[in-house]
Amino acid sequence: MDEVMKDRIEQLVDFIMKWCLWQFHSRAWDRERQNEGVLTKTMQLLCDEPVDLSTPSDRCYWVDAVYLANGFKKTYPWLGTMEKKDIKLLMQGLKDRIDYLTINGSLNQELTNPLY
Amino acid sequence: MPYHTFECSECIPERAMHAVIKGSGEDLTSCLPLGYLNTIPGTISERGCAYCGAKHVIGSPMKDVIHISHGPVGCTYDTWHTKRYISDNDNFQLKYTFSTDMKEKHIVFGAEKMLKQNIIDCFKAFPHIKRMTIYQTCASALIGDDIAAVAKKVMAEMPDVDIFVCNAPGFGGPSQSGGHHKINIAWIDQKVGTYEPEIKSKYVINYVGDYNIQGDAEIMVDFFQRMGIQVLSTFTGNGSYDDLRGMHLAHLNVLECARSAEYICNELRKRYEIPRLDIDGYGFEPLSASLMKVAMFFGLEKEAQAIIDEETARWRSELNWYAKRLKGKKICLWPGGSKLWHWAHVIEEEMGVKVVSVYSKFGHQGDFEKGVARCSEGALAIDDPNELEGLEAMEMLQPDCVLTGVRPGEVSKKMRIPYLNIHGYHNGPYKGYEGWVRLARDLYNAIYSPIHQLSGMDISKDEIPTDKGFLTRQMISDVNIVDDGTSPSEEKPYTGDWDIVTRLRGKTYPKLESQQLGTI
Repeated sequence: MDEVMKDRIEQLVDFIMKWCLWQFHSRAWDRERQNEGVLTKTMQLLCDEPVDLSTPSDRCYWVDAVYLANGFKKTYPWLGTMEKKDIKLLMQGLKDRIDYLTINGSLNQELTNPLY
Repeated sequence: MPYHTFECSECIPERAMHAVIKGSGEDLTSCLPLGYLNTIPGTISERGCAYCGAKHVIGSPMKDVIHISHGPVGCTYDTWHTKRYISDNDNFQLKYTFSTDMKEKHIVFGAEKMLKQNIIDCFKAFPHIKRMTIYQTCASALIGDDIAAVAKKVMAEMPDVDIFVCNAPGFGGPSQSGGHHKINIAWIDQKVGTYEPEIKSKYVINYVGDYNIQGDAEIMVDFFQRMGIQVLSTFTGNGSYDDLRGMHLAHLNVLECARSAEYICNELRKRYEIPRLDIDGYGFEPLSASLMKVAMFFGLEKEAQAIIDEETARWRSELNWYAKRLKGKKICLWPGGSKLWHWAHVIEEEMGVKVVSVYSKFGHQGDFEKGVARCSEGALAIDDPNELEGLEAMEMLQPDCVLTGVRPGEVSKKMRIPYLNIHGYHNGPYKGYEGWVRLARDLYNAIYSPIHQLSGMDISKDEIPTDKGFLTRQMISDVNIVDDGTSPSEEKPYTGDWDIVTRLRGKTYPKLESQQLGTI
C-alpha cells in the first residue's frame, strides 16, 4: 500500500473516531458485525452500488453508512477524484485498519467476555 | 506505553496503568488505561456502589413507581436533594423515598416478614400507585432474604400491583457500573414482554440511557414526537413502568448512554431482533446527525431536516457568542461515564475550549476507547482517580474549569478552580440545541464569575480596594473581543427561559396524532 493510500485511510479513521460510535460496541463479535455492516454499506454507497435494506438491522447499518459516506465526501474532496476500483481498495484498507484498532489490536480486555 | 504515574501514587504501583497521556501518533492499540477493576487498596476511590448504580441511577428515575430499599435507612438517602431526574407526574419518584429501615434484630431474625408488611403499607399509603421496585442492599443480601419470594406473595394477594426486584447489593461489582449491569439484565429477564402498551405510530422507538436530568429526555422526546415517532418507553428518565415492560414492541432502540444501558439494548437485539443505534444528543452537529439517522431509519428525513433547520437558526448565534469568549479555555472533563466521550470532541469543536483531561470513576475500557479516540493530543485520561490524583492533575494542568460532579467539584473550588456540575447540572437541561447553549452559558458564568476576584483575597492580610468595584463577567471576557462590526448582530447571550421543560408537557404533536387517526 502506498503512502498516499495510507494517509487517506488515516484521515478516514480520524473522521470515524471523532464523529461515530458504532465501532465501539462492547464485545468483539459485535464489533466485527458492526464494522462489516457499516463499512460495507458505506463502500456500496460511495461506489453507487445497490444496498440491501431488507431487514431492520440492515437499515440501522445503512443510516450510519449514509452519514459516513456524506461526511467523507464533504470533508475529503480527494474522494471525488478517485476511481471506483480505488475507492473499494481504500475502503478495504479502512475496514482492515478499523478492525485492527477496535478488535485485533485493541487493549480492551472486555471484548472477549462471553456475556453482555 | 504512554502511562502517566502520579507522584502521589508512586507508593501504589498498581495504579500505574490507570492513567495515560495521549501523545503524538498514539492510537488505541498503545494508549488506553485499565478500567472497571476492583479499587486498589490504599487508593481512596470516589466511586459509588453497585446498589447506588442500580437504584439511584437507573431504577429511581421511573416515575410512577414506589421505589423501596430493603436495608438500613441510610441506603435510601439520595432523593430530591441530591438527584435531579425530574418527571411530568409532579416528581413522585423524587418526592417520596421508601426504606424498610432494617435494624440489628432484622439481621439476627430475618426481615422478610417486615418487608412484606412494608410493601403492603406502601401500596395502602399511595393507593394510586400500583407499581413497585425493591432494591436489595448489602444487609439484606448478606442475611439472604428472598425478596423475590416476598414480592410474589404480595402480587398473589394484591392482583392489581406489579413488583420488580433488583438484587444488586452494594458489593455487587467494582463500582456503580456493576449495578447498572445487574438492573439492565434483571429488567429484561423479569419484565420486558409482560405488558403490551398501545402502539400509536408506524414509527416506534425506545429511547434508552437517558435519565431526564433536569429534563434532558423530555427535550429529546419532543424532537422525536415532532417527527411523528412514538417513543414507546424511555429507559428510564421520566419513564413509565408499564411502558418499559413493553420495550420488546419497538422498532428501534436509540441508545444514548451506552455505559449504563447498552446491556438491555444488546439483549433486546439478541432476543427480539431490535437494532441498536448509538447516538449523541449533545452538540449541534452530533445532535443533528443523530436526529437525521433516527429519521432515516423510518424515512422521515424531511421532518428531521425541518427541526434541524429551525433549531439551528434559533440557537446557533447564541452558541457562537459564548464560543468566542470560551475560546482557548482549558477544561477537565471529569463526568461519570458517557459524557467523557459524548463531549470530548464536540465541546472543543463548537465551544472552542480545550479538553486537557478526561476521567471516569466507573467507566469501562470501552468508554476510554471512545474518550481517548475523541480527545486531542496531550489530554490526560484517568480511570478511577483518587482525590490526591485529582488535586495533582489540577495543579499540573491548571484548568480554567472542571466539569464534574458535586464531590470532586467542591475539591476543585477549594483549589480556586471553578467547577460546573455535569451530573445533576447547574442550569440544565443540556441536551438539545437550546440545552447546549445553556451549557455554554453555565460554563461562561463559571469561568468569568466575578466571585473569583473576591475569593482570591485574604481579608486578614490583603489590602481590599474600596475605591473601585469588581469587574463584571463581560468586562473580563470581552477584553480580547474586537468589535470591528463584523460580528453578526444576532450574536448575543442566551435569551431562553428559565424553565424550558414544563411547556413541553402540554404540547400537541400533529404528525403523531394524524397517524393515530389513520390519516397518514
